[in-house]
Amino acid sequence: MLQPLRIQGTDDTPTVILDSNPDNPLFEISGRSLPEDVVAFYEPILEWLDEYAKNPLPKTVFNFKLEYFNTASSKLLLDILLKLEDMYDDGHDVLVRWHYPEDDEDMQEAGEEYADIVEVPFEQVPYSID
Amino acid sequence: MSEEILNALIQLFAIIAKQDEGLHPKELEYIESFLTQQLGKESVEEYLIRFKKKASQQDSKKTRRSDKKLTLVSDSVRILGLCKKINKTLNRRQKVVVLVRLFEMVNASRQFTAQRMAIINTVAEVFNISKEEYYEIHNFVISEDIKELDFDAILFVDDQEINCKKCRFIKTEYISGQIIILRVKSAELYFLRYTGIDNIMLNGLPVFNNRIYLFATGATVKLPRAKPIYYSDVVAKFMADHSVIRLSFDVIDIHYRFPSGDIGLRRVSFSETQGKLIGIMGASGSGKTTLLNVLTGIYTPTSGQVLINGIDLFKERDNLEGVLGYVPQDDLLIEELTVFENLYYNALLCFRDKTKAEITEIVNKTLKSLGLYQIRHLKVGNIFNKLISGGQRKRLNVALELMREPAILFVDEPTTGLSSRDSENVMDLLRELALKGKLVIAVIHQPSSDIYKMFDNMLILDAGYQVYYGNPIEAIIYFKRLDNQVNADVGECPVCGTVSPELIFNILEAKKVDEFGHYLEERKVSPKKWEEYFFSLNKIHRVPTVNELPKGLLHLPSKLKQFIVFLRRDLKAKLSNSQYVFLTLTEAPLLGGILSFLIRYIADPKSKIYIFYDNVNLPAYIFMSIVVALFLGLLISAEEIFRDRKILKREKFLNLNRHSYLLSKIFILFMISAIQAFEYTIIGNTILGIKDMLFIFWFALFSTYVFAVMLGLNISSSFNSAVTIYIMIPLIMIPLMSLGGAFFSFDKLNRKISTIGKVPPIAEFMQSRWAYEALMVYQFKNNRFERIFFDLDKDISQADFKQVHWIPAIKDRLIEAYDALETMQEERQVNIDSLKRVIDDNLKLVYNEIKEELRKNPNVAFDYLDKLNLKDFDEHIYDATEEYLDALNDYYGQIFFNKDSEKEAIKTYLAKAKGPYYYVGLRNRYHNEHIEDIVTNKFEKYKILEYNYRLIQQTDPIFQDPDNSSWIGFRSHFFAPKKYFMGHYYETFWFNMAVIWVMALLLYPPLYFEHFRRFIEWIGKIKITGKKSLKKN
Repeated sequence: MLQPLRIQGTDDTPTVILDSNPDNPLFEISGRSLPEDVVAFYEPILEWLDEYAKNPLPKTVFNFKLEYFNTASSKLLLDILLKLEDMYDDGHDVLVRWHYPEDDEDMQEAGEEYADIVEVPFEQVPYSID
Repeated sequence: MSEEILNALIQLFAIIAKQDEGLHPKELEYIESFLTQQLGKESVEEYLIRFKKKASQQDSKKTRRSDKKLTLVSDSVRILGLCKKINKTLNRRQKVVVLVRLFEMVNASRQFTAQRMAIINTVAEVFNISKEEYYEIHNFVISEDIKELDFDAILFVDDQEINCKKCRFIKTEYISGQIIILRVKSAELYFLRYTGIDNIMLNGLPVFNNRIYLFATGATVKLPRAKPIYYSDVVAKFMADHSVIRLSFDVIDIHYRFPSGDIGLRRVSFSETQGKLIGIMGASGSGKTTLLNVLTGIYTPTSGQVLINGIDLFKERDNLEGVLGYVPQDDLLIEELTVFENLYYNALLCFRDKTKAEITEIVNKTLKSLGLYQIRHLKVGNIFNKLISGGQRKRLNVALELMREPAILFVDEPTTGLSSRDSENVMDLLRELALKGKLVIAVIHQPSSDIYKMFDNMLILDAGYQVYYGNPIEAIIYFKRLDNQVNADVGECPVCGTVSPELIFNILEAKKVDEFGHYLEERKVSPKKWEEYFFSLNKIHRVPTVNELPKGLLHLPSKLKQFIVFLRRDLKAKLSNSQYVFLTLTEAPLLGGILSFLIRYIADPKSKIYIFYDNVNLPAYIFMSIVVALFLGLLISAEEIFRDRKILKREKFLNLNRHSYLLSKIFILFMISAIQAFEYTIIGNTILGIKDMLFIFWFALFSTYVFAVMLGLNISSSFNSAVTIYIMIPLIMIPLMSLGGAFFSFDKLNRKISTIGKVPPIAEFMQSRWAYEALMVYQFKNNRFERIFFDLDKDISQADFKQVHWIPAIKDRLIEAYDALETMQEERQVNIDSLKRVIDDNLKLVYNEIKEELRKNPNVAFDYLDKLNLKDFDEHIYDATEEYLDALNDYYGQIFFNKDSEKEAIKTYLAKAKGPYYYVGLRNRYHNEHIEDIVTNKFEKYKILEYNYRLIQQTDPIFQDPDNSSWIGFRSHFFAPKKYFMGHYYETFWFNMAVIWVMALLLYPPLYFEHFRRFIEWIGKIKITGKKSLKKN
């Protein structure tokens, strides 16, 4: 089985949990994404997804729960979404959940824009910050 | 640019501009000038408002930690969306231009902030522009420092040596600052930036300090105090390290006179090296195509030389194999094949040593480099039924030659008939080839300004005279100056950079004006004068001769391999045309079915049972089948070579083997023939109840097809239009039909052409007569019924004829002669001469006939043959002869009796052994009365005929043996049961088949050597010269 990928977030990098354990799967990127070297940061994530795509779970629910990401990160997030799109095109059940703070229109719009670019089931999920 | 793309661009600009401190006035200024370039005045305002609105939307977000402004996440994602949209529409070159525009905008304000650059970087990534190229563009736009510009995609133009390691350099004189040129290799684009303050011009427009300009094909930079810098100079610098075949191409004083005596070219001279694109221009009839034909070696000039690396094109052609490539104006594609297959089969014919995988790779590579890879599986179709565009067709035609990488490529009117967009694509391709080190020489007709400027040098012909050779823009200035026009020194429109090559022709061909202002026929300046001007002012610079041998990639495969490739190519083309396949497979059985159904006649009106014996139509059916085979054979072949004639011309240029080509055609057509003949025979024979003879009928029809195919191929290689070909078919078919022996009896044709007792000579050339005779004789002789009786019937018929017709006729003649002799003896003086003649004539006949009888039948002896003449003839001889004839009569009577009894015995036996109805049943099923009627000539009124002191038997030709008096003579009477040739007898059927195949074989040499076409051309020439001499008189 594929080893889960866990990256603890910092001020400039997001927290990443990619766990395909069938009992309790979790796919989530959360926090802030402005790494120095975007490509280096996202490379293991994309590789993990490539491996996962070979033998995915019956249903993949991928959560984006970001506070902020910069332009360079936006390209790599798109790359992640495109991988999910490929899986969806191959006939797998995929759902993208885009979490945004209720009052953050900017993040909500970003989700909508992404939903326009990729053809994959996309769900907008507002949440309130306590 | 589409509105959609422009909108996307505006948004992209706006998102970048609003970062950090927001829109800078310089950026706005840039956007305004950019929009003005793209749009008319009115819409600029509209887009500008849109831009301003987007650029000032909602301020950037602040981070929690600091006051640093960050890009909105929605903007980041929006950029991705916009870039994806652009990716779908714009090609690589356009995307590079977009990227450079983004840099330019930032450059306008010189606010190279991290956020702005991050966005541009992301755009570049989504556009799939490599890191290196991004970096190069970035530095090119931003850097002032030469060290940061030290890579090999950069070229400096400066008056002093630049101290850099990788960059390229062109030295010029007196310039402030530098001109920096960037090459974006993946898109083959060039950009220009100028760091100084001089007033320099790019294509006639001023170049501002540190602005970025696209340095497009054919562009020129004019410096105030130095020589201009041409696009080709710049490109040559970048291409310098390519390994290219070095070339010297010298054309020395070429004169060409047409076979008709007209002069085509006079003193054409020029000299070029590799890596150039040369144009040949001229009014129609000025000798452009003639020149191209001479330069490619198709025509041999009257005098002068073409030297390629010192090798004489006309004397040492073998050393130049594969060096020259020629793309004629005609379309050379095989319409039924796909884009890929067209190239693939062409490659198979050009490369002997390459494996199939290698060839597939070469083809794919070529297709990719020409932008045709996406459409590789499309059928090319014909010009009217367009499946691929005109430009794609043309590029594919060029690709045919390109694949084998000739060092010198000649192209005849590459843009004629293409849209301006397609024309430019094709010219870009030629330009690129030249840049890669080939010498490309193209005849060009009415080029657009952009295309005209692409050429490195232009040769202008006027009525066969070379009136100009040199830089194309300079040409306009040259002619304007000679014509004393105002502003003669300006070659192109200073604002738009457009040139008008038509101007040259207006000046060249300007007519004299009379005092009333009417144009006269006479020119102001004659072509000869123009030429004298040119050579008095210019000298043709000879390039240094290169001594290495130029290499071509052409390795022709063996003849057998060529045959196989041709075969596969043709087969593939035919099979891919489903309509053709369907018709080819159904036509023959349909005709066979219809025909045999129509004539399946039952004689007894009350009966429903079909009796083969009674079907009156069978002889006509046999003949019609032959006509059908002839027709179909002609039809399947008549267009074959004609359709390929352009391709053949090219394949001749490549020195491909004509035998291989023809034999592949013949092979395929024979296969189709065999199939069609089989389908026809099996249907027709089944419906009409022709039993046991499937193979025989098939073989006869197949042989007929074979003959027709050979004839059809000859026609198709002889004529130059499809209409003429189809007009020819009746001209061939009607004689074949009327002299086939079925419609008109050979005995009753015009005496001028007929031979008594034999098939007329002219009919011997008619294939139909051989096939018809073969089938009729075979069906009669070899059917299961007649087979039993044929030999007996033959003897009976011969004995009967002798007894009933021949012996009485001889006796009559003998008596007549004897009567005359007696009269002569009684009345000595009267009419002695005419009596002598009567005796002589009659005796001659009797002599001839008996001599022949003795030769064939020595069983009854006669000793007085030599006495049967006017001198020796007397009562004694008369008696002896009569005795002989009586003996003969007894002899034949005996034979008749014996054979007839034998026949009856067989009949009785059959009735006893197999039942009383067996005989009739056998006859009804296998024998046909009407075939019998014809081969026995039953309805002939005159059973015996006298001709040339001989008696000719008119009845029962089928039972008569052929004349065997001369050793090799194979001519016989029609429906002879066997044939005589060179001392042997042969079965009629097989002999006739052999004759047909020999006829077909004899049609091959004329096909190979194109005798018929030459003959027709020769006739055509007589006419033309005839007209001319009339004119002169």
